[in-house]
Amino acid sequence: MARFALRRFSGLLFVLIGVSFITFFLAQIVPADPAATALGSNAREEQIAAYRKQLGLDQPAPVQYLQYMGRLLHGDLGKSIRTRRPVVDDLIDYLPATIELSLAAMSVALLIGIPLGILAALRRNTWVDGVARGFALVGGSMPIFYLGLLALGLFYRQLRWVPGPGRLDATVTPPTQITGLFTVDALLTGNWPVFANASAHLLLPALILGYFSTSVLVRMTRSSMLETLGQDYVRTARAKGLSERVVILSHVLKNAFPPILTTIGVTFGALLSGAVLTETIFNWPGLGRYATTSVTTLDYPAVMGVTLVAAFIYPLVNTFVDIGYSAIDPRVRVK
Amino acid sequence: MQPFRRFTTATARWLGLLMVLSLVLSACAAPAAAPAAGEATAPAAEAAAPAIAGEVSRADTLIFAADTTDLITLDPAVTYEFSGIQGEGSFYETLVSFTPGQSGVQPLLAESWDVKDDGDMWTVTFKLNPEAKFASGNPVTADDVVWSWGRAIDINKSPAFLLIDVAKVAKENLTAVDPQTFQVKLPKTVSPQVFLAAITFTVAAVVEKAAVEANMGTDMGESWLNDYSAGSGPYVLNTWDREVSITMDANPNYWGEPARLPRVIIQNMKDATNRLAAIETGDADVVQDLGPEQRTALEGNPDVSLFDGLNTQMIYLGMNAKMAPFDNPDVREAVRYAINYDEIIALTGGGAKTVQEIIPDSFLGHTGLNPFTQDIAKAKELLAKAGVAEGIEIEMLLPSDYPAGPIDFPTLAAKLQSDLAQAGITLNLRSLQFSELLNIYRAQESPMTLVLWGPDYPDPDGNATPFTTYAAKSIAFRNGWDDAKAADMAAAAALAPTAEERTKLYADLTEYVFHQGPYAMLYQPTRTYAVRNTIDGFNYDASDTPSVNFALIGAK
Repeated sequence: MARFALRRFSGLLFVLIGVSFITFFLAQIVPADPAATALGSNAREEQIAAYRKQLGLDQPAPVQYLQYMGRLLHGDLGKSIRTRRPVVDDLIDYLPATIELSLAAMSVALLIGIPLGILAALRRNTWVDGVARGFALVGGSMPIFYLGLLALGLFYRQLRWVPGPGRLDATVTPPTQITGLFTVDALLTGNWPVFANASAHLLLPALILGYFSTSVLVRMTRSSMLETLGQDYVRTARAKGLSERVVILSHVLKNAFPPILTTIGVTFGALLSGAVLTETIFNWPGLGRYATTSVTTLDYPAVMGVTLVAAFIYPLVNTFVDIGYSAIDPRVRVK
Repeated sequence: MQPFRRFTTATARWLGLLMVLSLVLSACAAPAAAPAAGEATAPAAEAAAPAIAGEVSRADTLIFAADTTDLITLDPAVTYEFSGIQGEGSFYETLVSFTPGQSGVQPLLAESWDVKDDGDMWTVTFKLNPEAKFASGNPVTADDVVWSWGRAIDINKSPAFLLIDVAKVAKENLTAVDPQTFQVKLPKTVSPQVFLAAITFTVAAVVEKAAVEANMGTDMGESWLNDYSAGSGPYVLNTWDREVSITMDANPNYWGEPARLPRVIIQNMKDATNRLAAIETGDADVVQDLGPEQRTALEGNPDVSLFDGLNTQMIYLGMNAKMAPFDNPDVREAVRYAINYDEIIALTGGGAKTVQEIIPDSFLGHTGLNPFTQDIAKAKELLAKAGVAEGIEIEMLLPSDYPAGPIDFPTLAAKLQSDLAQAGITLNLRSLQFSELLNIYRAQESPMTLVLWGPDYPDPDGNATPFTTYAAKSIAFRNGWDDAKAADMAAAAALAPTAEERTKLYADLTEYVFHQGPYAMLYQPTRTYAVRNTIDGFNYDASDTPSVNFALIGAK
C-alpha cells in the first residue's frame, strides 16, 4: 500500500506542474496590462513602464515562467499586485475560512446524504424514497447562487432565524487564532459566545454549499445500496439467518461504500468551485472570493497562487480517497 | 471468521481511514495556522499601546456597510481609492478642507494662511492652529507637515501626482519656519487656488512624524500604517480585518469637537441585496450604494430613510477625432443631437442627473446648461452635410464590469445604440474588461468609447485640463483631440486669480467644448445611501474628504 501511495503522490507533482504551465500561459493571452490596471487610469506612462519593470513583466513569457517556477521552489508565490502583500500571506489569511466552510458543507453532505440515501434504498418506492429523490433533484439542478439568495431572503431577511452574511457579527471579535477556523478556535479556547455566533453564521452557507454534494451522495448511496442489495451474497446472508441489521451493516454497506467514497472525492471539487459563489453571497472572506477579485483585477501572481492551491487540494483529496478505497477493497491493492 | 469479528475488523479499518483523513485535513489547516499564529503574536504585542481595547455596545456603534473591494491601504500617502479614503479619512487631517455648505477651502489644521507673489514664485504661509494635537497628545507642528508631505512625495505612489504634478510641490520648497508656521513655495505655473484644492486630499494629510519614523520598516511605514493610525483626526484605527471590516474608535485626545459615537465599523458587504437586508434588519445603520430595485424595496419603510448624494463622476461618450467620421465636428455634433437624454435618466430610475458639460455639478465653474435635446432631424441633417452614408457602422467600446452609476454600461450602451440608429448610425458594441478597454483607449485606438471619469480633486481644473489639453495625455489625448484654443482657455481659467474670473472663463470654455469637443457628456450619477431612523447627522459631500464624516453621526 505504501508503494501505491507513493505512485499516487508523484502523479500529483506532474499535475501541479501542468496546471501551473497552463494557467501561466492562459494569463499571458489576456490583452490587458496588470501594471496599468494596478496604477489606475491617471497613471503616467513612465510610472506604468517603471512598474512593469518592477513586476518583471518586461521579460519574455518563458523567462517569466521559469523565474516564477524558480521562486516557487523556495516557497515564494510572488507578491499580489492588488494587496501588495506576498501571495502566501494572502492565502494563509483566506484559506482557513474556505476550509471551515468546505468542511462544514462536507459534514452536512455526509451526515444527511448518506443516511438519506440508505433510507431511500431500504424503503424503495415508498414516500420516503420519493421525498429523498425529490430533495436530491432540487439540489442537483438549482443554481447555488439562486438557492443561496432565496435562503438568505427567507431565513434571514424575513424570518430572522439565522444571522446575516459574514463569519461573525460585525461587533464580535474573532477568537484567538489557532487554526483560523473560528468554530474550532472558539471551542479550543472555551469561548462559548463566539462559538455560538460563528456556528450560527456558518449554518446557512454550509447547508447551501453542501446541498449539491448532499444530492449527489443521496443518489449515489441509494443506487449503490440497491445494486448491492440485489447481490447473491446478500441473499445468502439472509438465508443463513443473520439479523437484518448485521446483513446491512456487515455485508451491504461495506460493499456499497467504494463508489460512495469516490463520489465524496469528486464532489469535493464541486465544493471548491461552489465556494466561489457561496462566499460572495454570504460575505465569506475566503479563497473563492479572493480568486474572483484577483481575476477581475488581473492580479497574475494571486491568480496563479489560488489556482495552484486548488490544483493541489483537489488531487490530494482524491489521492486519499484512492488510498481509502484500497484500504477497504482488497482487490484494488492487489492490482 | 465469525460475523462479529469481521464486523469489528471492518469497523477498525474505517475508523483508521477516518482518522487518517482528519489528520490530513487538520494538517492542511496547521501549516496555514502556524505561520499565521506567528504573525498574529507579533503585532499583538505592539498593539497594546495604540489600540483602544474593551467592549463597546451595539448602541454605541455605527455600522456602515459598503463594498470595500477597492480597499488596499490605510496609509494616507498611498491611499487613492474611495474605500481607503473613507477608511482613513477620519484618522487624519489636512491643513485645509472643504466643508459641506461652505464654498472655498476652510481652515482645519491651519487656522489661517496667506499667498504672496514673490516674483518668480508664490509663497504660501500657513499658521497652524495651536490647539491641534495628535491622538497621542503631542502637538501638530510644522515639522510634522514638512515630514508628511516629503514622505508622500518620496513614496511616490498613486496619489503623489496631486502634490507633485497638480500642486507642483517640491520637497526643497517646504519649510518649517517655526513650530506653528509652515511655508510652501510654488512655481507660477500653478494656481494657488488649485494648490489649496489639491491639498484637501488625504495625500497631504499630516501624520505624526515621531510615531511613523519609529516604524518605517522596509516600506517607509506603509505596512505599519495599515494596522495603526498616527493622526490628529476624531477617530483612531482599532483594527483592520482584511476583506472583512475596519473598526475605529473615538480619539480620546481629539482637539476639536469630539466624535458623537465611540465606535464606527466599516463592514465589507459586496452584494447590494445583502446591504438591503442589513439595513432592513438593522444589522447595519448606514449602507452605501443601493440600486433602483433596492430603492423601490425601501420606499415606505418606516425605519429607513433614503439619501441621494450627487457623485462627481461623469458618464460620457468619447469620439475619436483622429478617426473618420469623427474627424468632422458636424458628425460629433450629430451624435450629441441623436441622444435622448431624458430617457437615459428614466433608465437609471432617477439615480442620475443630466450633465452635458465637462465640469460637474458642485464644482466651481459649473454652468448648469444642457443645450442638447434629442433632435433626430437635425442629427440627420448634420450627417448628410458631412457626407456620412446612412447606416454607417461604428464600433463603440464599453466596460463590461464597471457600474455606470445605478445601471451598468451594457444597458446604457444598448439605449445609445437604439437612439443613434434612429439617426442612421449603427453602433457595434464591444464590451471589454475595464483594464483591457483602458489599454486600447490610452493608445488612441478606440473609435468611440462609453466610459466614466472621476475627478481627482475638487477643482474644475481637475476636469478641464484632462478633457481639453492634448499634451496632458489624458482624455483629450485618448480621443485624438488636439485643439490649441481649448488647451489655452483651460490653462487661463486654471490660473485666473479670482473665483469670479475663473467662473467666467470656465463658462466660455464650456460653451466651446459643447460644440467643438469630441464628447457627448451624459450624466452625473447619484449615490444612494440608506440610513436607519435611529441615527441622525448623516452627511455626504463629494468634495469633502472623506465624503461621509463619521464624527457628525450619532444616535437620536
